[in-house]
Amino acid sequence: MKRIILLPLVAVGVAFASGCGTNAHYVETGGRESVVSTGQINSQDFIQAAGDATAKLLASGVLDKVKSPPAVLAMSRIVNNTSSQIQIDLLTKKIRVALLESGKAVTTTTFGLDGVAEDPLAKNIQQQQQFQDGQTSTRLPDFTLSGKIIQNFVKAGSTSQSTYSFQLSLTDAKTGLAVWEGEKEITKQGTRPAVGF
Amino acid sequence: MKTKLAGLFAVAAALAVAGCHSNTVNSVENAQKSGQRTMLADQRVITDTQLARSVSVFGVSTAMTPGGVLKVQVELANRTKSLVRFAYRFEWFDANGMQVDNVMSATVVPDQIEGGEGKFISAVAPNSASKDFRLKLLKVDN
Repeated sequence: MKRIILLPLVAVGVAFASGCGTNAHYVETGGRESVVSTGQINSQDFIQAAGDATAKLLASGVLDKVKSPPAVLAMSRIVNNTSSQIQIDLLTKKIRVALLESGKAVTTTTFGLDGVAEDPLAKNIQQQQQFQDGQTSTRLPDFTLSGKIIQNFVKAGSTSQSTYSFQLSLTDAKTGLAVWEGEKEITKQGTRPAVGF
Repeated sequence: MKTKLAGLFAVAAALAVAGCHSNTVNSVENAQKSGQRTMLADQRVITDTQLARSVSVFGVSTAMTPGGVLKVQVELANRTKSLVRFAYRFEWFDANGMQVDNVMSATVVPDQIEGGEGKFISAVAPNSASKDFRLKLLKVDN
């Protein structure tokens, strides 16, 4: 008799436990079903920061002030001052793609920080071409993009809060003056990571 | 005994009332406006009436930026008495009605609005070819 009662209970328990889990499925990148965690920068944060920076940069009109558009942009250093290891390209690539698609700016891949080209092969071909043509001048970048990502972490009881500040500066390469600066702050609060905004 | 119980109930009731009080926003602005907004006639599709009440669209205006791209500003108002979390996304379309798909249209922005508050959200078109837009407002669990 006891077995007869126990078996359905076990079956219900198993069914309940399996129903509580979530099977792996695709979600929209950066969509409202994304996992949100306070201790690290999530993909939707990079998307939001990049989108905000690009929008403000395009709206400023600073890229339209170059003599021969589109403006040439070189990527400078973006410092990570957070507690996590960050792939900075998750931020910069989105900005580069959006600027290229806007038609307002192109990014050089043969002119890099400390003389290191992002695309060494392209740099070699460029140098070879210049040697063959006898030309010595290439178009230098009009602007450089630099920045910093800062994390401010606070805790009250079991609730933790992180504010990530994405700071970007666009510097006129000729004058060395920052002609545009943008900052986007994203604050997240909670006791544990969660699914959804 | 009865007095003690009544006291406990009174304390509980007071706590409940304090916990449920509304947080609304009072505001003041200049009556004679210097700036003139270019308001647009809008077309709405409402599938979530609760969200439409808590994050209500009051008006849509546009302007061109110095960079020659379209900027859209939407005025929202929360007609409830409590804070509401929501998310939004702007989609952009070119002169042929084709969607301009890039990081700026992929951005779902989480936001919040206090009870009784009016606020503006805005977006800039990804390029000068973007002529039309659509704003999507999404409910977020509070």
